[in-house]
Order: sequence, then C-alpha cells, then structure tokens
Amino acid sequence: MAETADLIVVGGGIIGCSVVHHLAQLLDRSTRILLLDRGPVAGATSGSCMGHLMVTPDDAQEYAFTARSVQLWRELNERQGGFDYNPTGALYLADDPTDVELFAVLQQQFAEHGDRADLLDPRQLRELEPGLAHDLPGALFYAGDGVVLPMLACGAMLREAQRLNQHVVVRPHCAVTGIDRDGDRIRGVRTEQGVIAAPIVVNATGVWSPELAAMAGQPRLPIHPRAGNLVITGHHVSPIRTQLLEVGYIRFAHSAAKVDPTRTDDAGGHAVNMQPQTNGGCLIGSTRQFRGMDRELNRELLHRSLLRAQRYAPGLADAPIVRTWVGLRPYSIDKHPLIGPWPLLRGLWIATGHEGLGITLAPITGRLLAQQIAGQPTDIDHTPYLPARFVQ
Amino acid sequence: MKRRIDGTGDRPAVAFTFAGQPCSGRAGDTVAMALWAAGEAVLRQSSKDGAPRSVLCNMGICYECLVVVDGVTVRACTTLVREGMRIERGGRP
Amino acid sequence: MSGNVLDADVGIVGAGPGGMAAAAALAAAGLRVVVLDEAPRAGGQIFRQLPEGAHAHLAEPPSHDAGHVLLTAFAQSRVQLVSGATVWDVRPGRLWFEHDGASKLLRCQRIVLAPGAYDRCIPFPGWTLPGVLTAGALQVMVRGFGVVPGQRALVVGSGPLLLPTVTALLAAGVKVVAALEASSRWRALRALPAVLGNGTRAREAFWYARQLLRAGVRLQWGWTVFGCEGDGRVQRATIGKVDANGRPRRDTARTIDVDVVGAGFGLVPSIELGLRLGCRAQWNAVRGGHCLVVDGEQRTSVAGVFVAGEIAGIGGSAVAIAEGELAAAAILREVKGTAVPSAVVQRVQRERRAADAMLAAFAPLPGLHELAQPDTIVCRCEDVPLARAQAAAALHGDSLRAIKVGCRAGMGPCQARICGPSLQALACGQHYRAMDLPVVQVPLKVVRSATIVDAPTG
Repeated sequence: MAETADLIVVGGGIIGCSVVHHLAQLLDRSTRILLLDRGPVAGATSGSCMGHLMVTPDDAQEYAFTARSVQLWRELNERQGGFDYNPTGALYLADDPTDVELFAVLQQQFAEHGDRADLLDPRQLRELEPGLAHDLPGALFYAGDGVVLPMLACGAMLREAQRLNQHVVVRPHCAVTGIDRDGDRIRGVRTEQGVIAAPIVVNATGVWSPELAAMAGQPRLPIHPRAGNLVITGHHVSPIRTQLLEVGYIRFAHSAAKVDPTRTDDAGGHAVNMQPQTNGGCLIGSTRQFRGMDRELNRELLHRSLLRAQRYAPGLADAPIVRTWVGLRPYSIDKHPLIGPWPLLRGLWIATGHEGLGITLAPITGRLLAQQIAGQPTDIDHTPYLPARFVQ
Repeated sequence: MKRRIDGTGDRPAVAFTFAGQPCSGRAGDTVAMALWAAGEAVLRQSSKDGAPRSVLCNMGICYECLVVVDGVTVRACTTLVREGMRIERGGRP
Repeated sequence: MSGNVLDADVGIVGAGPGGMAAAAALAAAGLRVVVLDEAPRAGGQIFRQLPEGAHAHLAEPPSHDAGHVLLTAFAQSRVQLVSGATVWDVRPGRLWFEHDGASKLLRCQRIVLAPGAYDRCIPFPGWTLPGVLTAGALQVMVRGFGVVPGQRALVVGSGPLLLPTVTALLAAGVKVVAALEASSRWRALRALPAVLGNGTRAREAFWYARQLLRAGVRLQWGWTVFGCEGDGRVQRATIGKVDANGRPRRDTARTIDVDVVGAGFGLVPSIELGLRLGCRAQWNAVRGGHCLVVDGEQRTSVAGVFVAGEIAGIGGSAVAIAEGELAAAAILREVKGTAVPSAVVQRVQRERRAADAMLAAFAPLPGLHELAQPDTIVCRCEDVPLARAQAAAALHGDSLRAIKVGCRAGMGPCQARICGPSLQALACGQHYRAMDLPVVQVPLKVVRSATIVDAPTG
C-alpha cells in the first residue's frame, strides 16, 4: 500500500522548515506532516546564504511583514535557541554624499512606523566600531536587526516541530520525481523512494520551484535564480561587532532591477553587507547576478566586493579567508514573495520568491501559509503575497 | 631536557617574543618548531571553550597551530621565524 | 605587478619525490619549469631536509638513497623552485599562490600536480591535547628541523608509516614506550609477498626490523590508543587491544605515562587542486579514498593537467618518483614528439602493484571509529563533538554536505582535510554507505583577503 501523509512540504530550506514548523504549531497534533528534500536539509540556498534579520521600513506593509518576522525569530531563540542568534543591530554606512542623504530618509521611514534609528556622527561611529575606516561621514544605527546561522536555524525549527507533533517526518536525500493529480486536485507525489499520497503539497523549493510547478503541469512560476558570491574569514578576526549594510544596498537589493532575469549577460553588481559571526569570524557579501543556475565563483565580482569591504573595514585586508562560495536567491519578478494557494490546482500551495530576504521572512512566511491552510486569520495582511496575482 | 638533536641547532639565533615574553629560535626554524624547541607547546585556544591546542600535522594542513604574528593570523608550522617577530597565541582572545 | 607573474612551460605543485622527478626530467629536456612548494626546502614530507646550516646524520632507511639522488639532480637542474608558496586557486594553465606576503600568479602551458598526501586522523578521546600529533608531524619535526618531540613517546595507528615514525623518534633519542599497530599480525602477513617480491621494499623492511630490534621496541599488533589525558598537555594514554575489525576491547585497557603521541592511521591523497580543475576522481579504499583518475601516462581527465604520486592514490616514494618521470615523458611526447619509454611505463605499473598489495593489508579498520565518545571533538576547527555530528546526520541527512550544514563540522580553516575523511563514517554509524566526494572551494588553502584582492590577472 502506498505511503500517505496529510501534508507534504517539498524543500528543506529555511522556508520549507518554517512551513513545517508553523503547521506543527497550528494544526492538530495528529497531523502527518512530511518534509522532503532531494538533498540535505539546509543543503542548498539556506546553507549558502547570509543570515540577516533585517527590518525594512519602506512602507507600512513591508515594515509589518519584516518586523513581525524578526519578532518571531526572537521568540524562537528564546524557546529553542541553538542557531547563533545575535541581535547585533545594523549599521547603515555610506561613503558618497548622495548615499549619505539616504540616512535621513531611512530614519524618517522608521519613525513613521513608530520605530527609531539613530544618526551617528563620525566620532560616535568610531566609538561603536573602532575597526571601521576613520574617514567615514557617519552612519545610521538601527537596533532591531540581527544575525542568525540559517543552517542551524533550519534544524532548530524542525526539532521544535517534531517535539510538538511526533508525526512530523523529515526525509532528506529523497527527490520528488513527479506530482500526481486527479483533474484539478492534487493527489500526491512520486519520489525516488516511492509514491506518497497527500491532499496538500507545499512547493517551497526556492530557485527550483518552477521545476516542481512544471511537474504538476502548471505554468512557469515567475522565479529566477540570482547568484551571490560570499566570503567568510577565520575565527576571531572580525573587525566589526555590528552587522554592516551599505545604505546603497537597499536601493541595490530591493529596488527595481534594471536587468531582465531571463538574460544571461548580467554583469552583476555588489554592495557591502558584513556580518559578525559568534565565533569572531566575519561573513562578507554581497553580490547579485542573474546567470541561470551557474554556481561557479565569479572572481571579478568577488574581488570587487572584497575590495569594497576593505574600504569600510581596512583591517580585513589581513584577515584569513577560509572559504568563498555562491548561493542562488529565488528572485520573484515583482520583488514580492509568493505565499498561498496556487489557484489552478487545488491542494498545491506555494511559499517561495524571497530573494535576499528569505532568512528574515522565513518565520512570517511559514506562519502566513500555515494560517491560510488552517483556515485561521493571518497575523498581517497576506493578500499582497498571494500567488494568484500571477494567474490571469 | 634536550630539545634539539646534536648538530641541528648550529644555526644563527633568531630572537622574537611569544605572548609578550622574549624567546629565541634558529634561522630556518618555523615558528612552530622554534616554539616547540623552546618548550612552548600551547599555540592557540580553541574557539568554543578556550582549550589548549598545538601542532597537529606540522605540514600546513590542519590549522591547529594558528598564531598571530605582528597582527596577522598565520600557521606557525609554515611561517619561518624572523628577528623581532611579535608572536601571540591564536584563537579565542 | 610583473614581478608577481611567473611564466613557465610547466608549472608543478609539490617538491616531493613526484614533483622533483618530473621537474628534473622536464628541465633536462630544456623546458622552463617552475615548482611551487609550501615547505621551506625541497624534499616533500618523505625526503624532508634539515634547515640550511644544520648538521646531523640521522639514520635513514635504504629508500632515502633515491631521495638523495633526486634532491641532488633537482638542485643541479634549472628548475625554479618557489618554497613557502601556498597555492590557493588553479585553472588550466594558471596557478595563483601566496608567497612572502605577496599575491602571485604562475602562467604555464601544462600543470603537474604532485601535492602528496596527509595523515588520516581518527578521533579518540583526548586527541586534541597538545603533544598528540600525527605520525607525519613527528617525522617532520625530527627530520625536517632536528627538534626533539618529547621524552616518552607512544606511536599508534596503522600502516607502513608507523615504522619511519618510530625510527625518527629513536633518532631523536626519544624513548618509544609503545608502538601499536591496529591491524592484526595475520592481516599484515598478507603484505608479506608484496614486500618480499620487491627488492627495495624487502631491504626497507629488514632495515626497520633491525632498527626496532636494536632499540628494543616491539611492534604490538592488534593494539591501539583508547584515549589520552593530561593537564594542558598529554601526560597519560590508555591503550588496549582491538578486534579484527578494529573495535576496541575495553576490558584490555591499561594506562601508560607518555609526553608525546604520534597517531597515523594511513594517508589521504591531497586531491583538492585536481577537483578544483574538474579532474575526474574515483574511490579507492586501498589507496586512501578519493583519488584522481589517470590514463596510462599520468594524464588526468582535464587537458594539460598531469599528476604524480599520492594524488592518484597512496603509493609511497618509489611510486611517486616513477610517476613523476612518466608524467614528464608524457609531456615531452606532447611537446617534442619523443616516445614514452616503455620501461618507464612498466616501472610505474610494477611499483603500483607492489604498493597496492602492501596497503591492502592496512586498509582502514571501520571499528576504530568506535574510539570516539559522544563528547569527543571530531571537527577541531569548529569544536564539534561527535554527538552533535550524529544529530546533524540524523536530521539533515547522511551526506557529507548534510553533516556540514547540520553542525558546521568541516567548515573551518582546514576545510575538512582533518575531519572530512572520517566524518561520514563517524556521524552516520551503521547507516554509513560511502564517502561523498568533497566539494572544494576557493581559496584552496586559507590566504589573506589582500591576496585575493591583489591577485594578478592574465
């Protein structure tokens, strides 16, 4: 007899783990929840990304979305821990006059949501971070941001889920090879290890989500991989204690991309994002480039981003570099994630498309999706993220 | 206690400091071997609990002998001693 | 900038037996050869030389005669040796390295990889204590620097390399309290025909036997170390018998006083450069694990990339020298159209056969992975205890990648060279299937950020 489950979540990255985590919290304790991944849990994008928890104040919806998620992170740390949660806050930096003007804009945005960020003059900046270059014109400090280690956070979410509900099963290294349908309703999945029947399947496969949608005979999802080069130093050499973000990063990472994600001639760009690690190391990003699924290191971009990081933290020049690698962010063409039911196939749900904010937004994403599946009211307005917006 | 095989130490002395104390080795020694011959086995403290660590592979593979030489983290076993070096233990401060 | 860019016909990584043999032969034929090596002097780990100016006559086995011949030929050749070079990236025809604090590039038509091997580590309680070193480390200490490791030594592990470790310690005047070979005498007897059938290896074996006999050191078969203790440094070791699979027999444990321990459970081929180049690798348990695949003339699957010695599987210095000469002959055939002498090909085949037959008797014993306890550190860089690695494998998956992302094991500066070879077997226990091929990332060894930023292009 074929194996059965009540829900199957495909994709063991931070989003899939969070979906499982919140399903286990919101649904009956006898619900059989199965997590599948063709690789390890946290083996793909969530095992090769930065770990920023970043409140973005662009507008009320965006602020509520990110701030609520960062709060959920804080709560998970208090209950479970074990994922190097570090409430470092964030320093927004700039070195050119145009970008410096953005400090005030950003500060005003935080204030509009009843939150606050503080302008630091060069002397205050040096007191907070003596390892930074001394010619910087100041900075904006926001205390609410933090850093986590995403791979360990995936484990923490699943362990709590399994403690709440003993019918949560995690099956890594088990690839989904097909999706079975009954007309317009989902029936289950086929895997390397056999057929599993389930009335609900969640597609949380990030940059691979179009592939899984295609298995279900659905139109192409508007998700494209956006590559990032990352660098990590050895332990105990980090010149910083606070997470650093070049203020231009916001414009660069979250404003309208000028590049067509389906083209392969994107030269890519970079803006500094540096994160202190709890072991005293420093994680350095961040570049962005559309070039398909290619994960080969781009030495030119790596070179530029390291040079830029050294401009802000000159001591980095002597830091031992342990590893560099490339991760693929799931970029959605309208810059907003897809969280909710897929309207063309009953039982198929989607949670993906967070690009560079997947770690920040994982808890709220899992919660919004689980609340919709459970038929409960959502923490915040979930309608801007409904995948239906891409269906005519 | 004998720390060098007879004849092998007939090389010019090289003076440096280790953890603030004056120390010396011989020209051609690596930092790791000069310190070992000087009776200093603990080269770094582990990141998690500060436990003492020392040379493991002695051939540049294991990074257990990380020390800080004049402010830069290096492998003691692949770095030759130089006159006037300031060497500090690596790892957890 | 141009001072930081070197040009050559052939770039060789490693100045051990394989690299030196290839370099000397290529230079003799008129090719421009540059050799990059991380040690202060040529010789590799096996033919380590004392620093310039040091004088001592340490007893050496007969195989070192070939080393002296090679070192002399290498020194007299027109090869340019760059000692103290750390290679951190490689592409076909390009080797980037850090040297003397500067970022440099070697451009060449062809590459010979002869980076050698490193000791296979099997974790046991207390193995992180200062004074517990690899077998190779002790040999380097004595033969490379003339430094005395300690006063009372324990040598443990498995395979032919325990003997040179013991004799190095004896040459340094160290008392060898015990020398423990985990394989049983009966298992090791399988190596006998291979040793006796090869003249050099037979003489080598007799030389070691005589050295041990003279010093009154008896190799104990079927024994190993169960753990080490000490206050800031190793002071005591618990030793005992193991069964035929290497599983510790706890009832046989006893404690001895020592101040230095050398552990060598065989060697692991250093294949990282080859993997970065995209060379094909395959699993060969007898030869130490993942090895690069070569054709009959030391060519890898990537054009212009040749290998010699341990990178194609552990074999020892005789194999490495023969393969270095064969790689050189194969390159000369490509460059000058000269034939590859069949004697050179046959010598490689003969030495490989002898080495394989001998190593088969010392293939890693799986039961030795039971030495580690739940709180034993398995990843020394990231301080990961066995229990955490096992929990990671149980939740994240039983692949190498899964264990790494589940507990950070293997993500530190050694880039999993130390923990990697035994990590899967340790973390997955009964469910262990096969070792995954490691994924290599730039830099291939840790270098300063400035080295990457200042890397010459072209």
